[in-house]
Amino acid sequence: MNTSSRQQAYDRGHTIFSPDGRLYQVEYAREAVERGSPSVGVVTSEGVVLAARKRVRSPLLEPDSVEKIHRVDEHLAVATAGHAADARQLVEAARKRCQQHRLQYGEPIGVSVLASDLADHIQEQTQSGGTRPYGAAVLVGGVDPGPGPDPDSSPTPDDRSADEIESEPEHESATERTVQPALYEVDPGGTFYGWRGTAIGDGTAEIRSFLETELDGGDSTAETPSLTRDHGLSIALDALATTAADDRPLSPTTVTARVLGPGPESSSEQSTPVGDDELERVLAALESD
Amino acid sequence: MHGTDSDGIITTGTTTVGLVGADGVVLAADSRASLGGRFVTNRTARKVVPVDDRTALTFAGSVGDAQSFVRRLRAELALYDMDHEPGASVDTAATVAADLIRRDPSPQLELVLGGVAPEPTVYQIDPAGGVMDAPIAASGSGMQLAYGYLEDAYDPEQSVAELRAVAAMAVRNATERDTASGDGMTIATITADELEREQYDGIERAVSAATTQPADSEVAR
Repeated sequence: MNTSSRQQAYDRGHTIFSPDGRLYQVEYAREAVERGSPSVGVVTSEGVVLAARKRVRSPLLEPDSVEKIHRVDEHLAVATAGHAADARQLVEAARKRCQQHRLQYGEPIGVSVLASDLADHIQEQTQSGGTRPYGAAVLVGGVDPGPGPDPDSSPTPDDRSADEIESEPEHESATERTVQPALYEVDPGGTFYGWRGTAIGDGTAEIRSFLETELDGGDSTAETPSLTRDHGLSIALDALATTAADDRPLSPTTVTARVLGPGPESSSEQSTPVGDDELERVLAALESD
Repeated sequence: MHGTDSDGIITTGTTTVGLVGADGVVLAADSRASLGGRFVTNRTARKVVPVDDRTALTFAGSVGDAQSFVRRLRAELALYDMDHEPGASVDTAATVAADLIRRDPSPQLELVLGGVAPEPTVYQIDPAGGVMDAPIAASGSGMQLAYGYLEDAYDPEQSVAELRAVAAMAVRNATERDTASGDGMTIATITADELEREQYDGIERAVSAATTQPADSEVAR
């Protein structure tokens, strides 16, 4: 190996630092994410809205087969950007992790716990030999159980299922279910951050500045006022539209969305896809503004 | 009958039944947990548990094996629901359940697994992982007593509203003579629209509730 190729080597192996302390393969992986169609997440007071643009390259392509937002547990979903094949592996890892947590601890995994576990898994691929980093980033959106009912009104030991042989959590149908929505971004380097609103993929910078204006009125010190689910969905789709300039306008074929928040009283499901009808309606309302 | 009393393993001596009806499935079990059927360790055990939207199972055998098994089966079915269309069929659930049992080195579990996914179906799953579908299935130490009643009283044309009473009577009759079964009852009624589970403190209370047709269900002629 001659001198010049040895000097180049730090940009080949991702486990090798460059002289100025950078991991080029990880940065290239971030570049791959930037080329992917964008996914957006917005935290509202009623739950988290995830929305994403789908690249439907041909009218012959079945739009439903382009998957950007994936349910990973009944209270969690993952939106992706970047290499779709890599992203699918992360989704699979997330789903298994959710079930593993239930098996091990008998309770659903928390949003931040899943995000940090995914980040650990992603980071491992940047430090071990024979692997390459994931060319995908994910938004983890979900709801954690909110603060329980007033302790004085909590069920007496007799009501509790301490004597149950099974460990099925009872639904709190009697009391109003409160939730704590949370949104995390995990990047190919394996770092994760919590956000009130953010994006990954193509046009992230524009989308993020749009969200900063919408959610904070440009004032970064302001608290997000209480935001309804519907308003959050509208903001998320509007944010995606900011990057649609050179593309066809958004339609239910090219956009997909999911809301994480309390579902019907009778069900423990908290991860609900937004239907085409509603997407159509919200997009039309945005169009007419 | 799951005679591990020498090890002090808590078992659900148990009587459980599963019945296929015209419009759904009924699963029922007593609620006694005991040490070898001679000492009652728990009187309100729930041995009928949902594992998916429209699928539930009853278990007889070691409580420890059952708890761990149910957790694993729920996790497998949750993963199936995300990788496929939601709502694994009862056949699929039975296959996965039997596979989990076969992987276990010495499982002490007798299962009756039933649901409406897509059709009303009941499976008997033995400790070796054998899977057999059957219109009526019973398991546990009170099994013969339950079968004796079911052979006479069961009619596949009956609705779940009527079968609730048949299932409750089968469990009741078994608890009369089987010392490892008793105390109370759990009854699950599964139709295409819902999976409903009721828990009763006393055997007679369960029988009278089950023989009184619920107001909202169709009263068969």
